[in-house]
Amino acid sequence: MKPIIATALLLVLVPGAGPAWSREAPPAPGIPHDFTLPGKQTVRLENGLSMTFLEYGTVPMVTLMATVRTGAIDDGGDTWLPDLVMDMLKEGTATRSALDIARQAADMGGNLGAGAGAEQATVGIRVLSEHATGAAALVADVLRNPAFPASELPRLVANYERNLSVALQEPGSLAGRELSRRVYGDHPLGRTLPEPGQLAAYTLDDVRRFYAANFGAARTHVYVAGRFDRPALEAALRGAFGDWQTGPAPTVNPPRAATSPQLGFVARPDAPQSSLRMAVAAPDLTHADYFPFTVTNTLLGGSFLSRIMANIREDKGYAYSPYSSLSAYRRAGLWVMSADVTTEHTADALREIYGEIDRLRAAPPPEAELEAIKNYRAGLFVVNNSSPDGLLGQLALMDLHGLPDEYLTQWVRHVYAVTPAQVSEMVGRWIDPSKMTVVVVGDLDKVRKEVEALPQLVGARELETDR
Amino acid sequence: MIRLLAGATASGLLAVLLTGCATTAPPAAPAPARQVAPPAAGIEIPVEYYRLDNGLRVVLSRDDSMPTVTVGVYYHIGFRIEPRGRTGFAHLFEHLMFQGSANLGKMEFIRLVEGNGGLLNGSTRFDYTNYYQVVPAHTLETILWAEADRMRGLAITQENLVNQQGVVKNEVKVNVLNQPYGGFPWLNMPQYANESWFNAHNFYGDLEDLDAATLEDVQSFFDTYYAPGNAVLVLAGDFDPAQARAWIDRYFGAVPGRPVTGLPDVSEPRQEREKRHAYVDPLAPRPALALAWHVPARGTPEHFAFGLIDQMLLQGEDSALWQRLVQQKGYTDSVWGGINLLGNMFNYAGPMLWTFSLLHDPAVSTEQVVSEVDAVIARLREAPPDAADLQRALTKIRADLYGVAGSSDRFGLVDLLASFALFDDDPARINRIEQEFRAVTPELIGRVAREYLRDTNRTVLVVEPGQTAAGGPP
Repeated sequence: MKPIIATALLLVLVPGAGPAWSREAPPAPGIPHDFTLPGKQTVRLENGLSMTFLEYGTVPMVTLMATVRTGAIDDGGDTWLPDLVMDMLKEGTATRSALDIARQAADMGGNLGAGAGAEQATVGIRVLSEHATGAAALVADVLRNPAFPASELPRLVANYERNLSVALQEPGSLAGRELSRRVYGDHPLGRTLPEPGQLAAYTLDDVRRFYAANFGAARTHVYVAGRFDRPALEAALRGAFGDWQTGPAPTVNPPRAATSPQLGFVARPDAPQSSLRMAVAAPDLTHADYFPFTVTNTLLGGSFLSRIMANIREDKGYAYSPYSSLSAYRRAGLWVMSADVTTEHTADALREIYGEIDRLRAAPPPEAELEAIKNYRAGLFVVNNSSPDGLLGQLALMDLHGLPDEYLTQWVRHVYAVTPAQVSEMVGRWIDPSKMTVVVVGDLDKVRKEVEALPQLVGARELETDR
Repeated sequence: MIRLLAGATASGLLAVLLTGCATTAPPAAPAPARQVAPPAAGIEIPVEYYRLDNGLRVVLSRDDSMPTVTVGVYYHIGFRIEPRGRTGFAHLFEHLMFQGSANLGKMEFIRLVEGNGGLLNGSTRFDYTNYYQVVPAHTLETILWAEADRMRGLAITQENLVNQQGVVKNEVKVNVLNQPYGGFPWLNMPQYANESWFNAHNFYGDLEDLDAATLEDVQSFFDTYYAPGNAVLVLAGDFDPAQARAWIDRYFGAVPGRPVTGLPDVSEPRQEREKRHAYVDPLAPRPALALAWHVPARGTPEHFAFGLIDQMLLQGEDSALWQRLVQQKGYTDSVWGGINLLGNMFNYAGPMLWTFSLLHDPAVSTEQVVSEVDAVIARLREAPPDAADLQRALTKIRADLYGVAGSSDRFGLVDLLASFALFDDDPARINRIEQEFRAVTPELIGRVAREYLRDTNRTVLVVEPGQTAAGGPP
């Protein structure tokens, strides 16, 4: 229990409320209750496809999610082509039209989702339990038997062009694009938005080629979580996927983050805020430093309790939701600090963030502060894994990274093992301003000079990009 | 089984045992089938409801399937009923509730919740401001104490007020002013579609109004709207009801009761002719369009009928508007909306709009889109819906309700319980939602479509692009 420290100079507005020095302490928490996770069962078919079953949850619903180990990592420079392929899957199969897919999904209580991320593409649906086998048949049909109707491609490409035009006006998308390309260069994960003209050139052959090269049983893992008739559902999935071709093994091509300092500017005249992004390589989920690092991130900028939040929001009022996070690609972690700050305090905000990094490197955090952060992460762990969908997502993440079950079962123990000295060590080893890429999207006439003059950024390779 | 045994050491370290198994090949021998029969009546949420002497309403809903409790405190003050000249004040006040109370200094409420393993947030909506936490079950007493502390009174300094004015102004910038289509249509449609100031002012607040707020305003707002008799406390999750009642009596029972101010008349006149408005968004690269209709009074059979109309026309990719505008005509990649864009069809009290919006290309005119919408709506006005369409709408509603009941944060569940307690004095209504939808007849749907989906009951809002595709002014 963290002691409550009385703050001086409270202006007490409430008649009858006591002065600060006689404050009442909160009642201490009781004894933690047990948290029980369900057992998972994983089955691997001869063609290489895996299936994991989790019987879990309080309501008669079941989620089926098929993940395929592909995505931007395989796009070969054809940015957003994997997304287009996933959208095309929903446009019809050999036996179902797009309308059939939408209606059958809704008749089971669900919406079929299909999408591509950096390293995983998914087709998934959540339905009423009595429709579990119907959902399995629908997911398998969409994944295995796409019709790829030529008639729908121009419409989807026009949608992507429209979305791109909007992204090019959003400060967050512009900052993300700039940061990724500065950090990851020509690697597929370095390109988050297509170049002008790129989308219009995609053909049905490109869609078919990507699908043929990247889909198959060996890359696919079907997760089932919720309440369901296990034998019937397993039989349905075996029937639907058992004769799928093995296909390729997953691509191994982790990106390497830049290690020399860079400063990227994107002009957005008259913007009332500057969108700041700072990034540097970080431990991935399998790295020995992962647990101390992720706890360090939570303390530095990854929670409402964090030092950067306390400083630039709750003390200075420069920003609404400053936040740091760890992007966990397979074998490549990236620490990213994001803050949209009021224009006149752009350099001030960067200065304060650097100040918090320096301070945490120079002195280990007090035990009580770190204890609160660990409690927060342990509490999040319970909430995140307390629903079928939450735990299913966790298992899919573990499989992507090749993590053993102990990652999950020892997670809380590892978090509580982190020491104050390790926190400072993590900042020194990883969150090094002299290796960072910094991006500023905003009114450059007003902010550029002051940002360039920050000591951490003097000498950084400087780049400016048009929108 | 993977089992986490909590509380093994003084630090709260959780010990974990694993008995899960991973198998490869051979096919599992079929076990006897276990039937999962569809339940007859949908969700059954336990509801215990009572009132303290100071007027505070309390809802308890026990579910020990996971060792957390979600705590919600809902005050019957939303942005629509905030004072004139103080636009955005209800929301600014929400921020101030985290800035200190008699026994908790700035940041200490947050530290108490997150530092004990909980999540928290607050939000301001049409008719309520809510504060909610998901906390480990063993920290419930601590959190109840803290919520009661700030219900008793705040301790805000001028410095903290100025700080949060800065934070809120940055919130408006990041969510509205610095974004293409910022505030469209969730923030600006009510301003055009409604007549009463209460429903039609800027809910986020004009920046000058936000700057003008004083500590006196803060105190007077608290006195007027944050009385226990104007609030509901909801607990959902793993707790012992007798113990929880004792804690609630001890901490919340000690908050003095105060008179509750009556609510203003926020009613809207029947709309008799179509409204249209267009504006240029300097950051927008493509045209956008939103349409809104006033919906039937909340909780009436007509309102439930409108909920089914929403499902059939707008919710999901099977819906009629999606199929027509996205799939068949290819005007847009999605059409999005619903009853109450800032919540759902139950968590408000007062006039409300059914709104949807879409982005389209300049080659397609507003009139083309509107005429396709008209064609979809005309079908429902002219003939009762197909039995299959109606059944599908009911299935989607059942799945949505299970989604609420089965969510691990229980936010949606607490929100419905609080809304039915705050606005209807009847939280058990949550268990009758599905029946109320099932009682709607195809004839009633037709009648509601004819009265409410009139052109003369709608507002058309057009965003004209201020940017070309290349990124500069046209």
